[in-house]
Amino acid sequence: MIERLLSLLPRRGGAAPIVPEKSVAGRTLLLMITIMGFLSAVTLGGVVLVQKSAIAWSSDVGREVTIQIRPVSGEVMDSNLRTAVSLAEATPGVASARALTVEESQKLLEPWLGAGLDLSAIEIPRLVVVQLADPVDADIEGLQRNLAAIKGASLDTHAAWRQQLNTMAGTIVLSGLLVLVLIGAATVLAIIFATRGAMATNREIVDVLHYIGASNSFIAGEFQGRFLSIGLQGGLLGTAAALAFFLLVGTAAGNMLPSEAGAQIGVLFGRFALGLDGLLMIVAVIPVIAALTAVTSRQTVRRYLSQTS
Amino acid sequence: MIEFSDVGLRYGNGPEVLHDLTFKVEPGSFHFLTGPSGAGKTSLLRLLLLSLKPSRGRVTMFGEDVSHLSQDRLLQMRRHIGIVFQEFRLLDHLTTFENVALPLRVLGQPEAEYRPNVTELLEWVGLGERMNAPPSLLSGGEKQRAAIARAVIARPKVLLADEPTGNVDPELSSRLVHLFAELNRTLGMTIILATHELPLLDKFSYPRMLLNKGELTIHD
Repeated sequence: MIERLLSLLPRRGGAAPIVPEKSVAGRTLLLMITIMGFLSAVTLGGVVLVQKSAIAWSSDVGREVTIQIRPVSGEVMDSNLRTAVSLAEATPGVASARALTVEESQKLLEPWLGAGLDLSAIEIPRLVVVQLADPVDADIEGLQRNLAAIKGASLDTHAAWRQQLNTMAGTIVLSGLLVLVLIGAATVLAIIFATRGAMATNREIVDVLHYIGASNSFIAGEFQGRFLSIGLQGGLLGTAAALAFFLLVGTAAGNMLPSEAGAQIGVLFGRFALGLDGLLMIVAVIPVIAALTAVTSRQTVRRYLSQTS
Repeated sequence: MIEFSDVGLRYGNGPEVLHDLTFKVEPGSFHFLTGPSGAGKTSLLRLLLLSLKPSRGRVTMFGEDVSHLSQDRLLQMRRHIGIVFQEFRLLDHLTTFENVALPLRVLGQPEAEYRPNVTELLEWVGLGERMNAPPSLLSGGEKQRAAIARAVIARPKVLLADEPTGNVDPELSSRLVHLFAELNRTLGMTIILATHELPLLDKFSYPRMLLNKGELTIHD
């Protein structure tokens, strides 16, 4: 399977490689780099998805504040609601304000109290949903000061929620980056061992090259070329597998859940849509892995040669 | 071209394997280097190839004292020295043509530039028909001619040969030495050929450097 895929890749023309292709532990290393490329791309994609969802979610939540008016004896709820809506609409940066009806408020309680209950006998807190035109310029503090005139009124800006969300998303992103660094370190170590193995296997070739006047730089370049090719192939296969994985997971998530549940999960966790920038970041795994492979092998060869010459 | 003055060589803290070597090799000359096994022929060739530095004394090659040269300069000087080994040391995964072209490839020459020269040399050593064959399909004599072609393709000033006739029959040995003689005569290449086959030496009148127990005497 892998060989069939590799046969589709462009081959280097010109003279035969001085370092024989089969003498480098090519297939094992290729498989290892493919796995590392896949893990890197999946981790990177996961980080992109989490960050995008967090930004979108934080942005959505940030565009809305809620005024809650608790029932207070001696106060008329409807009058307080109208005052709160008026105050909100008069606040700079507010696009609209709307008091939830009693039915809407009762519906909000259904997940906790169950459906079919008659709540008309109970006075429940009422909410005014305030949409902000511009979260940055909206005078939230002014609105909060004005609401002090209404007994039982409080303003929820969802700041604690957003803070928690941002902290959680930041932690996931940092963890993802740490995993990427660890994958990179594991890849470098594997390439170092593979290069040393290749040098030992090709000792005769290295000696002959030295005898005919090849510099350490030339010899390192020959090994680097071989490893660059393996790194490119591994990065390409791993990244392609990761893109297929995201496509599969995205399609499966869309098909397995009913449309309403799917929509809700989409709102909550995003839609497994990496976007162009996410795709570009994942595709960038290919040259990064190839460069990492080439540079590591070159440095390993040069160090080996300077130690043995 | 090559001058040794009181040169001694030891490996690590071991005993000296070469003692007080003092001799000159003039440009365009041909010398046999001979002596019994273990006399130090290969060690002397490695000194001449600049892959070893003397433990004492002075080695001058192409007018420069090699003891104080940088790695880069040593590398440049080594490109003026060709080497032929007894065991050929051809790379099995390359064709005969690619093996012979290797020194030019190392120098950075493009294939289009070196292909006519390599082809011409392979025809000259009688391997024109075998240039696309891998070394594994060549006979012992063909392998050694390919190794000689690889050693001379970059036109080195000095050609060293370490028991080049060790793996071929006597008749072919003689023909190979004639090939070295031809290179010396036509290209003016300085040649030092190490061998312990005394009957072979008797067929040629070149001066002999005789190594015995690490000491050198020259018989003109």
